[in-house]
Amino acid sequence: MPSLLEYIPFLIEGSLWTLSLVALGLSLGLSLGLPIALMKFYGVKLDAYIWFMRGTPLVVLLSLLYWGVFPSFGVELGPFETSVIALGLRSSAYQSQIFLSALNSVDSGQIIAARSIGMRESQVVTYVLLPQALRISLPSWSNEYAIMLKDSSICFALGVMEILTRARYISVATDSALLPYLLAGVLFFSLTHAGTGALEIVYRRVKIKGTLGG
Amino acid sequence: MMLRVEGLRKRYSDIEVLRGVDLELREGETKVIMGPSGAGKSTLLKCINLLVRPDSGKIFIDGEEITSKNSDVYKVRQKIGFVFQEFNLFNHLTVMGNVTIGLTKVKGMSKSDALLKAKEVLRAVRIGEELWDRYPAQLSGGQKQRVAIARALAMDPILMLYDEPTSALDPQLSMEVLSVMRELSKKGMTSLVVTHELNFAIEAANSMAVMYEGRIVEEGSPEEVIKNPKTAEARAIFNGRSNYVLV
Repeated sequence: MPSLLEYIPFLIEGSLWTLSLVALGLSLGLSLGLPIALMKFYGVKLDAYIWFMRGTPLVVLLSLLYWGVFPSFGVELGPFETSVIALGLRSSAYQSQIFLSALNSVDSGQIIAARSIGMRESQVVTYVLLPQALRISLPSWSNEYAIMLKDSSICFALGVMEILTRARYISVATDSALLPYLLAGVLFFSLTHAGTGALEIVYRRVKIKGTLGG
Repeated sequence: MMLRVEGLRKRYSDIEVLRGVDLELREGETKVIMGPSGAGKSTLLKCINLLVRPDSGKIFIDGEEITSKNSDVYKVRQKIGFVFQEFNLFNHLTVMGNVTIGLTKVKGMSKSDALLKAKEVLRAVRIGEELWDRYPAQLSGGQKQRVAIARALAMDPILMLYDEPTSALDPQLSMEVLSVMRELSKKGMTSLVVTHELNFAIEAANSMAVMYEGRIVEEGSPEEVIKNPKTAEARAIFNGRSNYVLV
């Protein structure tokens, strides 16, 4: 029986898959969530989409897309791609809420002031709303990173070679459960806090001077 | 006429805020508008730079009808400076950033030209170099309002609108702002000022209008209107207060 030690690189390699899932999932969530937030801010109703994504367990969404939606449209996507899409879609709903509340917290007087100097609405968004809303949203957004990182382990259900899937392989191969899963837990823990710590540093750097806590 | 307002009306659901306002402002004139809260003063100003669309009536700026369908809202707003009660500075930008953003992004000016212009207007409102890199949260209320005036002036407006510019400031800080406004008026900046400051009206304004329930009920020279109001509405506003005017 091979020793657990030999499997450590195999497990750590899984964190690259986990991080890829999260990086791509967050990016997709951002590229959908931010426009959704802006549309909602300007009065477009998108509640049904958000209700669906917030009310459906990730594992259901994964199964629905992988075995249901994609095959019935003849789309061939692997477990990794499907996972990125599911994580991204769900995150877009949460991120849109994060960005919407940040947009709402920018004092509306500034929007009127921006219009008063002749800015078009697209310029108001680009130069006044977003620079502030994105800064304000960073702490909540870092929360979204932490949540997605841990939820990415659910992609285990499709056999994506991320940390949990590998921990299970090791567990079977070495006939031990405690250490592989403990190591997996430690990896998730470290990645979560490394990421949120890095975002915290970014937040401190970009924070608007003189504002609360600054 | 720099500004002519004809029969302006505006209704918000069940309240008619403006009930036919007529107003004229000559080039270089400073007119003060006074009236109780809810009289429609603020809505009138916001209609003049099209932040609020009037329901009916016409507004002419320098002879051009801005309420006509084919007038360019964005061009109109560039020509009219607006100063708000709550300053409304852009919190994420420095003093310099607040003043230059309209120049670079709206007017398409080069960064260096915008800096030159910004320095000129910041000096005009007596915001010293040591404050140029500060953020709004690091300024006093009086400094914020003067930066807001500079932001408006930088666009080279032909008309300035002030919406209770000192109502959020204590008397000391109000003085700083009012003296800057007075200087601008003396230099010939056409200005329409909604304020409760009687001294400013008497010292800096050429004319005064009293608004009440969506209409202008009295007009005249500030001294005449404050000391000998003809209408009951104006008397209610100035009764007793004219004694405090320092002239």
